Amino acid sequence: MITFDRVSKRYGERLALDEVSWQMDEGECVVVVGPSGAGKTSFLRLITHETQPSAGTVTVGTFKGGRLRRRHRALLRRTLGIVYQDFRLLNDRSVFENVALAVRIAGRFDDEEVIPRVMYALDEVGLPLKHGRFPHELSYGERQRVAIARAVVNRPAVILADEPAAALEKRSADEIVTLLRKIHGEGAALLMFTTRMDAAEAIGGRILHLDDGKLVDADGKPLGPVQTGRTAEPIPMTVPDVNAGRR
Amino acid sequence: MHLFFFREAMRSLLHHRGLAMTAVLSLTAALTLSAVLLLLTHNARLAIDSIGDRREMIVYLKDDVSASDRDLLIGRIRDLYGNVTYVNKEQAWQEFARQVGDESLLEAVGDNPLPSSLRIKLRAELLEPAAMDTAAAQIGRFAEVEDVRYGQEWVRRLDQAGSALTQLTILVLGLVGISVVFILYNTIRLTVLARRQQVEIMSRLGATDQFIATPFVIEALLEALVAAGVSIGLVFALAWGAANQWLSGIQFLPVLTAVSFIGAVLVLAWLATMLALSRVLRAIGP
Repeated sequence: MITFDRVSKRYGERLALDEVSWQMDEGECVVVVGPSGAGKTSFLRLITHETQPSAGTVTVGTFKGGRLRRRHRALLRRTLGIVYQDFRLLNDRSVFENVALAVRIAGRFDDEEVIPRVMYALDEVGLPLKHGRFPHELSYGERQRVAIARAVVNRPAVILADEPAAALEKRSADEIVTLLRKIHGEGAALLMFTTRMDAAEAIGGRILHLDDGKLVDADGKPLGPVQTGRTAEPIPMTVPDVNAGRR
Repeated sequence: MHLFFFREAMRSLLHHRGLAMTAVLSLTAALTLSAVLLLLTHNARLAIDSIGDRREMIVYLKDDVSASDRDLLIGRIRDLYGNVTYVNKEQAWQEFARQVGDESLLEAVGDNPLPSSLRIKLRAELLEPAAMDTAAAQIGRFAEVEDVRYGQEWVRRLDQAGSALTQLTILVLGLVGISVVFILYNTIRLTVLARRQQVEIMSRLGATDQFIATPFVIEALLEALVAAGVSIGLVFALAWGAANQWLSGIQFLPVLTAVSFIGAVLVLAWLATMLALSRVLRAIGP
């Protein structure tokens, strides 16, 4: 589904990714763990074609390597659901409108399908009663849940989550991790980037370590060309039910 | 979906109403100037055409021309140059007497010195100064003709004034066209930059350039439509006021011209917006 074949990314003198080879299959859950500046953002930007590799090939689904035309790049992004650390919500629009925007951009649904799809997604993240609120009226945790609803509303094949819990306090962060795990359990592949090992282990997928632009094992030694990482069992978490407040 | 784009455009207009208002006012000022000039040109052209209709050539005949030669001449001139009215010496004297009005003055003149003449209402294609010169020279070569008069100087000046006004109008319309493109180009560029975050988010969600651009195009077209409509309305009010107050003959622009004016403004607005968006979206889209 996503393949990196000896991918390097250089920004001037700085090497952000160094000959990274890696593959992710359909429906898989992969967590890339690494400290700040390890190359996680470059990783994500290469997948979304926000930037091009300096060397090597990135393949996402049927989009293989090279510089894509703008309309193909847009098409590629519509196959992904992306959750950002800073939510990237439109502050002048309600929760409903933020999520509905993704549905309209997908262009696959008629107007009458927009409302039920959006409400279903908001129901999944536990915010159906806050559809009329604006982002500044929500807590950070709720904002991230809106971002997740926006990412999943079109049922993409892959969810990319870039440090989705980094800006949240512990309780909200655990809720977000639980929510992502639930969404992955429904069939979507999940690729999460995080600095926190506990969050990676809580998700319970294949864990890859990224350090100084290289994929390394748990001991910090560079991995070979086929990067399978290790698979963690999901850790049972005692987080409040996000839907509890609605019942 | 179309309603969505329209709503987005209205949201942007309301959100950046200061910018939109500035654009509409600037456009209205530029378009009103050009519409006023169009109105003046249209009415000047009507006046010139009306005067042109009255342009006639007077051919004075020699006194010894026989009736048969005269009729032959009238026939040839009618075939070649236009409608001919024969004015004999007596008719010419009566007309002169009517104009002068003073009996004692007429008695002082004595015998009728006026020649008989032919008044030619030239064909439309001969109403240009050069064609009138040629026609006058050709008619003057007939043996029966004493002299040809047609006021060539004022005909030339009238035509020069008409073409100068047309050139000025074209120049001003060109300048206004450029300013419309310039104003809307910058307005849309600023609007998109002001909504940079939104554009970036939409681009990351997989929106095509067309999807992102459509509300901005609608916004620019609405601004241009309002400005063009207001300017045409102002010019209509001006023409109506002038017609009622001090220039009774002034006419408003023909409907086709007014509609074409608005259509041209919309086309320019579309061009300016596409130009601005093609540059700015590439610059800020991730």
